[in-house]
Amino acid sequence: MAIMTPAALQAPAAPPTPATRRSRLHRREHMAAAAFIALPVIGFVLFIGYPMLYAVYASFTRWNGLSDPQFIGLDNFVAMANDRYFWQAMGNTLYMMIGIPIGLLLSLVLALALNRKMRGTTFFRTVYYVPVISSLAAVAILWQWAYNGDFGLVNQTLAIFGIEGPNWLQDASTAKPAIIIMSVWKGLGFAMLLYLAALQSVPRHLYEAASIDGANPVSQFWHITVPMLRPVTFFLVVTSIIGGSQIFIEINIMTPEGGPEFSTASIVWYIWQKAFQYSQMGYATAMSVVLGILVFVVTAIQFRMNRRSEFSIE
Amino acid sequence: MKSRIIATIGAVAVAGATLTACGGAGTSAQGENEITFMFRGNDAEQAAYEAAIAEFEELHDAKVNIIMTTPDEYATKLRASISGRQIPDVFYVDPGSVQNYVRAGVIRDISESVEADVDLDNVWAYGVDSYRFDGELMGQGALYAMPKDIGPFSFGYNRTMFEEAGIPLPDTDVPYTWDEFIDVAKELTRDTNGDGKTDQWGTGLNVAWNLQSFVWSNGGDWLNEDRTEVTVDSPEFIEALQYFADMSIVHDVTPSKSEADTLDTYQRWMQGQIGFFPVGPWDVPTYEQLDFDWDLIPYPAGKTGETATWVGSLGIAVSETANNPELATQLAIHLSTDETAQQSLVDAGVQIPNLLDMADVWSTSSTLPPDNKKEFLDVATQYGRALPPATTSDAEWYDELWRNIDPVLDGDMTAEEYLTDVKPRMQELLDRANAEANNG
Repeated sequence: MAIMTPAALQAPAAPPTPATRRSRLHRREHMAAAAFIALPVIGFVLFIGYPMLYAVYASFTRWNGLSDPQFIGLDNFVAMANDRYFWQAMGNTLYMMIGIPIGLLLSLVLALALNRKMRGTTFFRTVYYVPVISSLAAVAILWQWAYNGDFGLVNQTLAIFGIEGPNWLQDASTAKPAIIIMSVWKGLGFAMLLYLAALQSVPRHLYEAASIDGANPVSQFWHITVPMLRPVTFFLVVTSIIGGSQIFIEINIMTPEGGPEFSTASIVWYIWQKAFQYSQMGYATAMSVVLGILVFVVTAIQFRMNRRSEFSIE
Repeated sequence: MKSRIIATIGAVAVAGATLTACGGAGTSAQGENEITFMFRGNDAEQAAYEAAIAEFEELHDAKVNIIMTTPDEYATKLRASISGRQIPDVFYVDPGSVQNYVRAGVIRDISESVEADVDLDNVWAYGVDSYRFDGELMGQGALYAMPKDIGPFSFGYNRTMFEEAGIPLPDTDVPYTWDEFIDVAKELTRDTNGDGKTDQWGTGLNVAWNLQSFVWSNGGDWLNEDRTEVTVDSPEFIEALQYFADMSIVHDVTPSKSEADTLDTYQRWMQGQIGFFPVGPWDVPTYEQLDFDWDLIPYPAGKTGETATWVGSLGIAVSETANNPELATQLAIHLSTDETAQQSLVDAGVQIPNLLDMADVWSTSSTLPPDNKKEFLDVATQYGRALPPATTSDAEWYDELWRNIDPVLDGDMTAEEYLTDVKPRMQELLDRANAEANNG
């Protein structure tokens, strides 16, 4: 009883494909290609696909990470809705993403500056890139020292200008900004480098044409440079948001207890605490599933929006 | 065409699987006399443990593979290795995890071997009992780990500071009352160089590690007897927390919050700016080098008139999956109670002796400070208690108390307001932990 759908009925019969005769060499190449592709695919299935599916399953269980998981339906998700720390951690994570636009703006300015022909650009490019290649853990420890209220570099510098700095990491009102400043500093070099590359690939003739038409440098910047940088901006925004939603190491090192009054606990930090300190793997996976879905949705929306505004230059 | 591609993928998959299988077999092929030991600690501890382990290897003709982590990483790494069923044969457990590990079949009942080989009467009862579990309550029943150490959290004072200020030295046996303590602390708090800023304080305590003493000595506690009800809103508890907070917000005998944040009180104590400060055995090697005289005293006593403090402990457990459980158990026993091993650990200054007779000799013979070493032993034998979360199946309910306590310490909230507010949240977390433990 084959039910033909209308679509299938209307579909034209597939044109008979000419029997292409493929050489043995061609076939071998295909097989080699398949083998090359297969390895990462298998890796993905084993190390990402399976754990992901298992995490989804585990999110419906009560599981301490030691005994066998017990299925409890949606209980974890209900508990999450009523968990003030879950919301607080989500809020903190969102708050700390303020650093993303700030970082993008600063790195663009920096890239524009370093794109000029002047002495020592290579030196400065290197200097700004150093934080990127440094270990995040080491950087976090350095900044922890720098933020010390009395002896830290930050407050000593402020003192030169007669400003009395706060106890950055010990005060609930300054702990989050402190982490944001550090993250922006750490990410600056990477974004700057990508912007630099993008700036240098903007075709010169666009500017020439624009200046012949009488466009001043400011409008050239807005109408040529900014649009031409859009793909890089898009890439940076997407990856920064994904990275920002997973902020953990700097939090864990600089504020090991989640900060004064839980003020710097990020969602991943809270997931980690629940899983490894309080043995609530089931609940922790439920939170990570929610986080995963959120990141996916946000990224999908970004791709949608980007597609709508995409343009190309003939 | 398609089928061939699939066949290729299949072949690669099989090849991959075989490779993995080989790898697995290779690593798990452990010799009969080979065991792994996972622990955490600082450099001094590592060196001392390596010496103790080398001695064990010689005695038992065995090979011990050491997995050493920093204290921060330990819990995460251990948990990951347990989840992945690659459990080290011998590893540290804290008393608070014992119940969960036993229920999940991760650690082994070692009562039999221990009873056969060790004179438990010569080991701190507190240390041993911390690892007993009868399936319902901690503290009784089968033994699941040997104590690595016990940590009687004692109290010290800066004797030089007292002498300079002309204040009579505190009695090493009779605790101060709370009022006396405040009075002495006030006398010690002063501006020694006349620049208008306080640079010497009576004390400087950390609420998460010192509140216990005040609560207990005032007759309060975190939980009821059968560990089902949170009792932090009792009048005794409230009074103790308020007293603790008032030390800085009313009496000003501790560095202010910002002073404590910039240079923590531990550093200030070591620079001789603090009169009274807690001392754990693990602090002693550092404090030996202080350029002032110090000694141990009991904590000031609240309403009950009895001093109180806690004793920490860490245990050495044997995995249920150990392929040579007897040897693994012997290692746990060796590290816990072998005299030579203990001596090397005591010499390294990382702990007090686990063996009672050794501890007696140590407390009277050693010439290094503190003079009143016996105070450590008194804590261990007479009045030290386990930290509240050590007897429940997780610590989340307990941590909840500290999470938002800052307003009380800053004087923005009274102890009573805070404790009545936090109690139901703690109760909820305790209920969950208890329910989960019974489900486990």
